[in-house]
Parts: sequence; C-alpha cells; structure tokens
Amino acid sequence: MTRAAFFVLTALADQPRHGYGILREVEELSDGEVQLRVGTLYGVLDRLTDDGLIVLDREEVQQGRLRRYYRLTDEGVAALDAEAERMAAGAGAAKRRIAEGRRATTPADSAPERPTTPGLAGGFA
Amino acid sequence: MTTLLESRYRSVLRLLPAYYRREREEEMVETYLWDLDRDEQDQSRPTVGEVASIAALAVRSRLGAPGAPRRYLLLGSAVRLFALFAVLIQAAAAVVDLVLEVTWAVSRGGAERHLFLSQFTGRGFPMGVVTAALWILPLLWTVAYFALLHDRRGLARASALLAAVPNLWPLIGPLTGALVAPDPAFATTFGLLAWLPALALCAAHHRDAPPARLPVGSPGLVFMAACVLAGASVVMLPAAPDLAWAPASCFVVGALGWLFWQARGSEAATPGAGLALAALGLLILAVRVAAVYPWLHVPMVGVYLGGALVQTAALGLLIVALAVVGRRDLVAAEPSLTRGDVT
Repeated sequence: MTRAAFFVLTALADQPRHGYGILREVEELSDGEVQLRVGTLYGVLDRLTDDGLIVLDREEVQQGRLRRYYRLTDEGVAALDAEAERMAAGAGAAKRRIAEGRRATTPADSAPERPTTPGLAGGFA
Repeated sequence: MTTLLESRYRSVLRLLPAYYRREREEEMVETYLWDLDRDEQDQSRPTVGEVASIAALAVRSRLGAPGAPRRYLLLGSAVRLFALFAVLIQAAAAVVDLVLEVTWAVSRGGAERHLFLSQFTGRGFPMGVVTAALWILPLLWTVAYFALLHDRRGLARASALLAAVPNLWPLIGPLTGALVAPDPAFATTFGLLAWLPALALCAAHHRDAPPARLPVGSPGLVFMAACVLAGASVVMLPAAPDLAWAPASCFVVGALGWLFWQARGSEAATPGAGLALAALGLLILAVRVAAVYPWLHVPMVGVYLGGALVQTAALGLLIVALAVVGRRDLVAAEPSLTRGDVT
C-alpha cells in the first residue's frame, strides 16, 4: 500500500469525507508531510474504489456544485488495520534494534562503571 | 457565476478524457475551489504542480485506468506491449553489439585489441568517460527488460531512461565539438527509437497497470531467441549492419512469427499486440530509411544498400499487415466504448 493510499484510508476511518475534506485530513494526519494534489487524490480514489476498499457514501449539491462523500468498506477497514499492524510491527522492531544497539555500546562508553579494583590474582577483572 | 479561476481549472481538466471528465469534473472543481474566497479567485491560477498531477492522471486514465472504456484499455495494453517489445529488441541489439565487438577485438590480435581500447583511452579523460558510458549504458535495456517482466517497475523505468541516454549523443555530440554532425533525420529518429519506448514504459507501466507479460515464452528464452536473431543477422551479412540492421532483423522475424501465430487463432491472449507491433515497426522503419537515405547517392558496397532496401520493403509490408490487425481490434472495441461512456 502506498503512503498516499494509507493516509487516504486513514482519513476515512472515522467518518465519510469528500475530496477536499480528505486532502485537509491527510495533511493534518501526516503533520504536513503528505500534501496530495487533486490529480493524485483522484488517482488514489479510483484505485481504492476499484480494489473495493472504499465506496461512494452519498452525494450532495452545494451552491450548484457536486460533493461526493466516500467511506471505507469492511475490506477497507481490514486493509487499513492490517497495514497499521504491519507498520507498528516494523516500528517496534526498529525501536528494539535501536535499544539493543544502545545497550551494546553503553559498557564501553561508561568507563567509570568498569571494575578497577585489583582481582584476587593481583590483576584487574 | 463562474469565476476566472474556475474557468482556468476547467481548462486544465480538459486534459482528461471525456469519459473521466463526465464522471469527475464537477466534483474535482468543487475540491479545487472549496476554501477559496470567491472575491480573490480571479487573481489565482492553478499551480504547476496541480497541472502536472492532472496531466499524469490524464495519461493514466487513457492507458487503461480502472473503469476506463474498452478502447482505452486496448490503447493501454498496446502501449505497454510497444514498450516491452521495443525494450526487448533494444536489449538484444545492445548485447549482440557488445559481444561481437569484444569478440572481434580479442580474436584478431594485438593491433585490433589496441584499436578497441584506444577508443576509451586515446582521447583524454572526459571523452574516455563519455565513450565508456555510450558503450555500457545500452546494456541497461537488458536490466529494464527483465525488471519489467519480474514486476520491478521502478527499476525498469530507471534502467530504460538511463539506457536511452546514449541515443541523445548524435544530437548533443556535435554541440560539444566531439562529433561530426550526423544527418538530422537519422539523429532524430535514432533518438526517438530509444526515447519513445522509454517514455511509453514510464507512462504505461505505472504502479496501477497490470503486470507486464510476454504473449509467448519465458523472459529468458525470448531474450535468448532475440539475441540469436540479432547476432545471426549481423554475422550472416557482415557488410550490411548499421544501427538499424539488428533491431530491424529482430522485428521482421518476430512480427512475422506473431502474425503466423495469430493466424492460427491465438490472438485472444494479446489484445493490442497488433497496434503495438505496427507502431514499433513504423518507428524502426523511420530509423531504417533515415540510416540508408544519405548513402543512396554514394558509391558503396551493394550488399549494404541491398540489405537495407530488403529490410525497408519487409518492414513496409509487415506494418500494413499489422495495421490491418490493429484496426480490427480497435473496431471491435468501439461498441464497448459506447457502453463504457454510459457507465
């Protein structure tokens, strides 16, 4: 799943949204990192619709212009959930590795903790 | 009342095919104009990024996007096959060219070996690097071919674009003084021979396109067969080869084989293949004619001229036959186009 598709699905996870609402929500969810263009957004919406992950929820006409609201299907919820699990697992693995790396370098860096008292044989342990 | 900005957005959206505009235009205009103050709209314009994103969507929606009418699905399939066949032919020609050149250099003794190496070392560092790049980069067609058929689309796109760079040299070289200006028609068609397939690959083998698939055979066997064809054509008529010879030989045999295969009733598996081969044949014919034309009035080896003219005739006949098959596919798609427009 692409980053754009992931954020679009996330934007629709709590309620149906229309095109502009999705754009703003994606920008907010990604802290401004993902700013979808309209052409890109509709390419993603076409693909997610074709994959059965989202459907048209309703249409409204406001001031003569058409607003279409989209919502997640059950398959969309499952796909988003699976992707979120996968990303969480990846993030967890990364955090564990970082922690292990820090632990591995800590003894060498903390020289004062190294025993400096003479051992029984007169050397240093 | 329509604002100037709305009119501008609607003008940009005209890049999209009619079926897509009917379905999405009102919704997209609403998305564009949602939070813009109506009084300020006449001072704004669509940004370059917005226009680029619509242009990309326009290309994809014409090349077999989800829900597209059958005519566009056929066009998308044809462009993908055009890119695949062209990449295969370029890859085979590049490998054969390199293998034959190295074989010639190492099997003829010290003088030829020195001549071969001096093209890299004899004209200073920058030209040596350029010559090495011109020599090595076409091998990336092979990477692009196998990457495409193993669904590594990003790698295939990058490889094809890099492999196409040397075909710009006849256009760029004269500007740097490193190359005598070739015939403009040849330089242009030679550039198009690489860049049209590379751009077609980038446009049509996008992330949402169906995976690339050969009409027949495994990728390795088909590649080997193309190399054998290209190599045999050069070895059997060593006085004839120019830059169009091996690709044209590959194409003629491959297209003939496809026509026979299709005549036996196996056409259903490859929609758009006739159109793809006709377009590729036309491109190779243009290079073939441009390569031989400057030599028509020069006393030269008759084998070269004869070989080029035979290839030209064969290409012409094949293009006509392929165009007939391609047109039949298009006509067959028209009724579905009408249905697709309604849905």
